[in-house]
Amino acid sequence: MFYREAGQYKSDYASDQAIFPIRQDRIGVLLIFLFALLVIPFIATNYLLNSILVPFLVFSIAAIGLNILTGYCGQVSLGTGGFMACGAFFTFKLTTWMPEVNILLIFLMAGFGTALVGIAFGIPSLRIKGFYLAIATLAAQFFLIWMFTQNPWWTNYNPAGVITAPPRALFGNFYITGIEATPVNKYLFLLCFTAALALVAKNLVRSALGRAWMAIRDMDIAAEIIGIRPMAAKLSAFAVSSFFIGISGAAWAFMYTASVEALAFEVTRSFQVLFMIIIGGLGSILGSFLGAAFIVLLPIALSNLPAMVGLRLPVDLIAHLEFMIFGALIVFFLIVEPNGLARLWQIGKEKLRRWPFPY
Amino acid sequence: MSAVATAAAPNQNQQEDGGVTQNTARVFDEVLLEVKDISLAFGGVKALTNISFDIRKGEIRAIIGPNGAGKTSMLNVINGFYHPQDGTITYKGQVRRKMRPHNAAKQGIARTFQNVALFKGMSTLDNIMTGRLLKMRTNMLLQAIYWGPNQREEIRHREYCEQIIDFLEIQAIRKTPVGRLPYGLQKRVELARALAMEPELLLLDEPMAGMNVEEKEDMCRFVLDVNEEFGTTIALIEHDMGVVMDISDRVVVLDYGRKLADGPPDEVRRDEEVIRAYLGVGH
Ligand SMILES: Nc1ncnc2c1ncn2[C@@H]1O[C@H](COP(=O)(O)OP(=O)(O)O)[C@@H](O)[C@H]1O
Ligand SMILES: [Mg+2]
Repeated sequence: MFYREAGQYKSDYASDQAIFPIRQDRIGVLLIFLFALLVIPFIATNYLLNSILVPFLVFSIAAIGLNILTGYCGQVSLGTGGFMACGAFFTFKLTTWMPEVNILLIFLMAGFGTALVGIAFGIPSLRIKGFYLAIATLAAQFFLIWMFTQNPWWTNYNPAGVITAPPRALFGNFYITGIEATPVNKYLFLLCFTAALALVAKNLVRSALGRAWMAIRDMDIAAEIIGIRPMAAKLSAFAVSSFFIGISGAAWAFMYTASVEALAFEVTRSFQVLFMIIIGGLGSILGSFLGAAFIVLLPIALSNLPAMVGLRLPVDLIAHLEFMIFGALIVFFLIVEPNGLARLWQIGKEKLRRWPFPY
Repeated sequence: MSAVATAAAPNQNQQEDGGVTQNTARVFDEVLLEVKDISLAFGGVKALTNISFDIRKGEIRAIIGPNGAGKTSMLNVINGFYHPQDGTITYKGQVRRKMRPHNAAKQGIARTFQNVALFKGMSTLDNIMTGRLLKMRTNMLLQAIYWGPNQREEIRHREYCEQIIDFLEIQAIRKTPVGRLPYGLQKRVELARALAMEPELLLLDEPMAGMNVEEKEDMCRFVLDVNEEFGTTIALIEHDMGVVMDISDRVVVLDYGRKLADGPPDEVRRDEEVIRAYLGVGH
C-alpha cells in the first residue's frame, strides 16, 4: 500500500487540526500502541521490560517536559535533574505520610508540587536569557540536590540517605511500586500513563498556550506586541515542564530503580535529558520519544553489537565510545538539523509520499 | 528616488501607476488618538522633540520623513514599547499612563514592523492564530483536554483566520513555515497576524519597503480594503511618496525628531520646508 494522503480531503477544520491528519499515521500509531499494550507484555523478557522499556518511558516523560520549556518556549534549563529529584522526594514524603491515598494521585500531586518549584526557579527567566538563564537553572539544580542530601527529613531519616519505594497498588492488588510490583505491571502502567501525558502535552502545544510559548521562543518582542504577557507565558512553560519532569522523577525513583538517593539526579541527568531533546528534536513531542529511545538504546547497542559480530571491546572503551558518539551527534544535530531525529523522520515520510517519483 | 520626484515637483501628476486611489475628500471628526508634546531621547540622542498630532477614527494617516527622523520611534511610543520622557498620549478619550505593549494590544492597537517580526518556527496559519490569542478564553485545563470547549474555540478562531487568509490571498502558504517564505509574502503574513487581532488602530511600519511594483500595488489595495471594509484606522509609515499621496487622508512629516508639517497630502507636498528637508538629506 502507498503512503499517500491523496483522496483524503478534509471537509472540516477539526480533522485538519487533528494530531495525525494523515490516516496512515493514525492507523500506524494506533497499531504500535495496541502492540505495546497487548502483545509486548506476553513476549517481553524481564530484562527488556526493566532495563529498556521502563527507563525509555520514564525518560520520555522527562524529555517531553524539558521539550516544552526549551523546545517550545525557548528557555534553556539545566535543572532537569533537580526537578526530577523534587518529584521523587515529594512522592516519597506524600505517600509515606498518606499511605491510603492512591499512588496515581500522589504522582500527580508530586507533579504539581514540582510545578510550583519550577515557577519559583523560572522567575529569573523574566530578566535573563540564554547562557545566563542556563547558569541560573544550574544553580537551582545544585541547590535542590543539596537540599535533598543535607536534610534527612526528606528520606524519613534513612541513615544511608536513600528512599525506597513502599508497595503501592493502582487498584486491588495491581501493584506498581514496591517488591510486589511485577515488571509487566510497571510497564503497563507507565505505558498508559506516558501515553496520557504525551496526549496532554500535544494538546497544550497545539492550543493557544502552545502558540504563546512558541511566539515567545521565536520573537519575544513581537509576542508582547500582539498581547502575550511574557511573564505568564514563560512561567506557565516552567510550570507545565516541571510538572512532567517531576512525574518522571517520581516514576524513576518508584518504578525504575525502586530505591534511590538524591545523587541519582545530579547534573549529568540534566544533560542526559537535554541531549535527548537535541537529538530527538527540539519542539517536537515525537522527537522527545525518539531522543529517549536513542539515549536508552545506544549504550546497550554499543555493548552488544560488537560482540554479535565477534568483536570483543574492553568495557572502558565502550564507555568512551558512547561519549564520543553522543558528542559527535550533538554537534551534528545542533549544526545541521536542530529539529533532530523527528525532522529526519518527517523528511523520510515526505520522500515516501512522493515515491517512486523523485519530485 | 520617487520621494524626491514627487516632493520637489509637486505639480507633476503621479496617478500613473493607476488602480489605487484614495478619495481625498473624506472627512473625519472623531479623534481616536492624540499625542501631545511627546519628547523621547536615548542618552544624548533626541529621537523625538515636542511632537503633537492626532489620528482620527477611520482615516489613513501617513507618517513620513527621511531615515532616522523618528518615525519608528513614534510608533513605538504609541504602542507602549518606548516610554517618552515628556508628553501625553490620549487614546479613545483616556490619557494613558505608562503601559506595556501587551496592554496596548488589549486596547486594540496592532502593528507590523519595519523588519518583519514573524515567528519563524511556526506556520503561516499558526502565526495568524497567535493574533487571536487575546480573544481566546479557555483555560489551561480545558486546553490540556482539548476536545470539547477548547476545540470549538480553536475552530471558531480558525474560521476567522481563514477569512483573513482569503482576504489577503495567501491560501497556498497556510501550512508553510514562514521562515521559508519570500520577503514580500512575509510582510503580508505579518499584516494578516495584525488583522487577526481585529485592531481599532493599525500601525504599519514601512509595509511596502523592499517590495516590487506589483507587490506594492497589492499591499496598497489591501491597506485600502482593510480601512474601507473593517473601518480600521491606519497609521502608516512609507517612503514612497506616490503611495503616500495616493492612499493617505492626512500626512504628518517628521525630520530630526521634529514635526515639519501636518495636513492633507497635496498641501504637505507643496510645503517649502518639506521640500527642503527631502532635498537637504540628499535623497
Ligand atoms: N532603541 C534605541 N536606542 C538608541 N537610539 C535609538 C533607538 N531607537 C531609535 N533610536 C534613534 O532614534 C532616532 C530615530 O530612529 P527611528 O525612529 O528608527 O527613525 P526612522 O524610523 O524615522 O528611520 C535615530 O537617531 C535612532 O538612532
Ligand atoms: Mg523606521
